[in-house]
Amino acid sequence: MAAIEKAAAASRGAHTVIGSSIVIDGEISGDEDLVIQGTVKGKISLKESLFVEGSGVIEADIETANVEVSGQVTGNIAATEKVELKSDCKVVGDIRAPRILIADGATFKGNVDMEVKASKGK
Amino acid sequence: MATLDGSTIIGESILISGGLSGDEDLTVRGRVEGTVTLTKTLTVEPTGIVKAEVQVKNCVIAGVVVGNVTASESVELTKEGRMVGDISAPRVIIVDGASFRGRVDMGDLELPRGERPARPAARPALRAAARSAEAARREEKPRAEEKAAPAKPPAPPAAVGIGAVKRKVVVRRK
Repeated sequence: MAAIEKAAAASRGAHTVIGSSIVIDGEISGDEDLVIQGTVKGKISLKESLFVEGSGVIEADIETANVEVSGQVTGNIAATEKVELKSDCKVVGDIRAPRILIADGATFKGNVDMEVKASKGK
Repeated sequence: MATLDGSTIIGESILISGGLSGDEDLTVRGRVEGTVTLTKTLTVEPTGIVKAEVQVKNCVIAGVVVGNVTASESVELTKEGRMVGDISAPRVIIVDGASFRGRVDMGDLELPRGERPARPAARPALRAAARSAEAARREEKPRAEEKAAPAKPPAPPAAVGIGAVKRKVVVRRK
């Protein structure tokens, strides 16, 4: 089920896909959905949704509206709307968002902050 | 449509700054700054802007590229392509309408001139012939001089120094 959802999410409105063999060392910023199947180190700041797929590996601080993680994330996540940790994901870092969902099977280590200030204090 | 497996697309509003490397095709519709290293094809679409040192196998430029592009196979500047920087690739295609400023290096163009070794081989032979001819002339001249030289000393005996006169005297005695 999760895989189907992922695929749907990826093909729905995503214009940007970082493929599985791609390694980015630096900063990514933008105003659109971003799907990551590869590796990103550095920083990600988006105004839309970030999808980290099963093969995706992120070592970066993330600032977005929504985050869906099925892969690995090491770094702090700050979302203005929602953070969703799917089953089989591995996340190490602090999460700050008004809505945080952690699915059964997800691995997570870090602090969670759901205070409403997170969304106000963009 | 946008998500074919094994292809990466950088959307219009995305800015990537830093290093980007990978083993798959990359399509840039947004901005990429820094370095791009791929083992496959980089496609810069009309909305794409790449300000980077690019090392790829193939490169198709329909957008803007500022920076040097090194391709192991080919670089193609389409009619919408604009580029400032140096291109280094065995095949470089610049289509009518493209704008480009920079150097183009298609590698060693001397390699196809395989006839070269034959020419130098022929030339030394000619040179050798010429040299031998010259040498023959030179040899002839000295010989002529030598012949002329021995004839001279006996000719001006009056001008010879005193010592020489003594020797001559000795010779005459013998």
